[in-house]
Amino acid sequence: MNIRLAKVEDLMGMQACNLQNLPENYVMKFWMYHAMTWPQVSFVAEDHKGRIVGYVLAKIDEPPEEDGAAEIHGHVNSISVLRSYRRLGLAKKLMLLSQEAMASIYKASYVSLHVRKSNKAAIALYQDTLGFEVAKVEKKYYGDGEDALSMRLSLKDS
Amino acid sequence: MSKAASALAKKTPLPSKEATLFKELLTLYETRQLKKGLKTADLILKKFPEHGETLCMKGLVMTHMGRKDEGIDLVKKGVRLDLMSHICWHVFGLIQKADKHYEEALKSYTQALRFDKDNMNLLRDSAQLQTQLRLFDNLVDTRHTILKLRPNQRQNWVALALAHHLNGNLLEAKMIMDHYLRSLKNIPDYDTEHSETLIYYIRLLEEIGELSEALSILDVSSKSRAIVDRTSILEIRARILSKQKSTEAEEAWRALIEHNSDNYDYYRGYLKNLGITEENGSSEALTKLQELVDQLPRAAAPRRLQLTIASGDEFRNLIKPYITKGLTRGIPSLFADLKALYADQEKQRIIEDVVEACREEYAHLSSVEPTTLLWTLYFLAQHYSYLSQFAKALSALEQALTHTPTLPELHMCKARLLKRSGDYFGAARCLNDARLLDGQDRFLNTKCGKYLLRCGMIEEASSIFGLFTKKDAISPAADLEDMQSLLFLLEEADAYRRNGKPNLALKKYMAVKKIYDEIEDDQFDFHGYNLRKFTLNIYLKLLAWENELRSHPGYVKAAIQASKIFVSVYDDPSIVTALSSSSHMTDAEKKAKKKAKKAAQKVQDDKKVTPATSTDKDLEDVKPKDDDPDGLKQLGASDPLEQASKLLHPLTTLVPNNVDVWIAIYDVAIRRKKLLQAVGALNHAVALDPSHPELHIRLVDLRIAASSLPQQPPAPIGPVFADALAKIIPGELSNETFNSQYLQRHSSNPQATLAAAKVSHKLKAPRDEVEAGVFALVGPEVKLDIATALSATEFLAVLQSSRVDEFRAACQARFELSTVFKGPPELVLLRQQVLSGTSAGVEDETVA
Repeated sequence: MNIRLAKVEDLMGMQACNLQNLPENYVMKFWMYHAMTWPQVSFVAEDHKGRIVGYVLAKIDEPPEEDGAAEIHGHVNSISVLRSYRRLGLAKKLMLLSQEAMASIYKASYVSLHVRKSNKAAIALYQDTLGFEVAKVEKKYYGDGEDALSMRLSLKDS
Repeated sequence: MSKAASALAKKTPLPSKEATLFKELLTLYETRQLKKGLKTADLILKKFPEHGETLCMKGLVMTHMGRKDEGIDLVKKGVRLDLMSHICWHVFGLIQKADKHYEEALKSYTQALRFDKDNMNLLRDSAQLQTQLRLFDNLVDTRHTILKLRPNQRQNWVALALAHHLNGNLLEAKMIMDHYLRSLKNIPDYDTEHSETLIYYIRLLEEIGELSEALSILDVSSKSRAIVDRTSILEIRARILSKQKSTEAEEAWRALIEHNSDNYDYYRGYLKNLGITEENGSSEALTKLQELVDQLPRAAAPRRLQLTIASGDEFRNLIKPYITKGLTRGIPSLFADLKALYADQEKQRIIEDVVEACREEYAHLSSVEPTTLLWTLYFLAQHYSYLSQFAKALSALEQALTHTPTLPELHMCKARLLKRSGDYFGAARCLNDARLLDGQDRFLNTKCGKYLLRCGMIEEASSIFGLFTKKDAISPAADLEDMQSLLFLLEEADAYRRNGKPNLALKKYMAVKKIYDEIEDDQFDFHGYNLRKFTLNIYLKLLAWENELRSHPGYVKAAIQASKIFVSVYDDPSIVTALSSSSHMTDAEKKAKKKAKKAAQKVQDDKKVTPATSTDKDLEDVKPKDDDPDGLKQLGASDPLEQASKLLHPLTTLVPNNVDVWIAIYDVAIRRKKLLQAVGALNHAVALDPSHPELHIRLVDLRIAASSLPQQPPAPIGPVFADALAKIIPGELSNETFNSQYLQRHSSNPQATLAAAKVSHKLKAPRDEVEAGVFALVGPEVKLDIATALSATEFLAVLQSSRVDEFRAACQARFELSTVFKGPPELVLLRQQVLSGTSAGVEDETVA
């Protein structure tokens, strides 16, 4: 599958993919807002017919100048791959591309994300494959009341 | 003084007390202290009830307090009383803009600017409106004015450059950017805004053709780290070097491939730059790709590209390890990945050989993981299903299911197979089985819902979808519509259409149309936003995409289907009255409807927040109540053809190569008696696909319409029309001969055969002749497909033919696995089985 930077034409496909896979959904303006603000950090996977089969929607958090301690960091708002295209390592590749862009373009110190406590597969990807660590537990984070693990990965060179 | 004269006369300014109050009023509005603002306005109006500006401001405040209609009336009154006030026109413009009446809003702003030409607010808003309306000439003027007033604001320079660019004047855009970039001082390091600006400038140079200049600036900026986006640097570099046919281009493409080895475009660029075509068998291409495979062992793309290019033995040598690796890894998408190769029959055969050989091998080897055999069988099932060899596919599936009954993929595959062989109930049942095996997976849930819609089980589908939609939404359908799910709306619309509920189908198709309207509107805020953020490149892409928005398949489908419904209602208005009589609903349906209505009302009531007049009810927040829940009002609209025409209009420029579009346009035009538009549409269709069956029907239809005109239309229409008509159907041929010649030419094509039968009916051929025409479909010559068979059955039913059951039986015999041709009692039984029991033996607790 082709993996590349998300373009404006991809937004509708990303939205459709998200609606099929996840209960947390967003209107088109939300997708546009990400693309228009941080056009370099969201990526897609497409099949031979050009259909979006996976995506990562990311943003950059720049804390206000007054808050001297807080660092610039990336945040993964949503990531998903159609069930029929799993086991190809697409999620991993999408994450790595996004992280690289966050670090090199925005000098992000770390990347964060939320994941459902019960989502073993996703947690394995983040923790074992990509090296994320659990920063804290956010109780009842999700709309249906499930807890989220707030995870972080440092992007600084070791 | 007359009212008009008093309005135009120079207004006497308010005395100091009221003037101060007015200033307060403006501040109160800006800080959204609406209650206070209202009071302040009333204080002024007590003494000066005809003060236009105060009336306008009061009206504006009211619109933000949920008193929209009152407010708008007041604003209009205020404007009339003070036509030379920039404040009045500004307020009027704001109201119109909030209602998305952009053209009117721009007019108001233009008026306002006449009386306050340097007002920044007005100028900026005007620029936004002009961009939205694509009035780039005017945009340039406005941006120019803004820049002259505030030359120290960086974004104003860039905004002007962009305006020139959009207006087609790239050289002017470049000059502005030149000036701007040279004037910059103290640029912070690693500034993403500056980086994006430079990239824009370089792209501009590239578009103008100044490649060396573009390249040199790119290299300098890249070294100095002024551009921080490495991907863009590499891409632009490779592209420019290729255009210059530079020897450095090859290296540039290699750098891109190493940067992201999963992007096929980079490989294509690499090969293209070397002058290597991707034609079948190109050994040069294969060698180069093999180099890359060796250097990038983890990259999937070069291996897959090799498969597209190779052929014969070379292909066999490459595909075998590719498939074996995929099967051993258990990759569910292996078939989807290779399916694109099946256009080549030889490759298809080789793949089958290889996978069948694997099946043999894995069935007997104990050293192989048992799951490998499983995935092999899964591949074969998909393969045979794709080739319509359903028996073989089912056999592989059954074997796999015996092995691992709990793998959802197998049930999904079976569902797809049954769908393709015309058993929609069976397909839905299998997909429900799949869904129950992994209740946490929304993908399975969505697919299951979709398959339920495909077999017309609309309410059941809604319950299934409801497992993942928001609990506080009025209904699952409402939530999916709010979240803009085109998939859901289109499938539901289709289901209603098939179920004989064109009112609800139309409602959903129009909901789809509304989503596209929303998306078109969404860009509005970004006209200012992207400039502030300096994300210029993506902004230009946004505008370009929005220009083509309605070429998206979702809109095309909704527009065409909606237009068909409008046309059918025009032809037969009794459809509407038949649907309106609620005696059509069974008692159970009526009860369910009442219950749903009550539930919906309760949710609405729970949601009502006590109107706190100080909270700002933004003009856009108030959601209009649905006053046409059954869609009957819309279906019974007095102007169906005009509405259809409006829906179809954008498609004439955006998807001119779609025959269905022109056919739909014809159907509307001919009924509106727009002869030239009608024949023009058919001309387009003929140019695209002269043998298209639906086109054939319309050609005869047009002939008939032309000959039944009471008199030839007056010149110039008459002669032009007659001329055009003669060009597409030669005058000497009678309609009957034209039809039979068409049938002869396409006698094995099922849609053409059916079209010919429909035409002969239109030409008033005797009934048994028409029926015989339809029955040809089940004869040996025709390669009948299920969709056409269904259409034919419907056609016979409309004819009230006595041979409908006979035809159905013949179709059933032809499509053994299908269930669509069974009679109603059997179908009811099959429908009940969809969600009741499961073959996976898992308890279904979801459906009450």
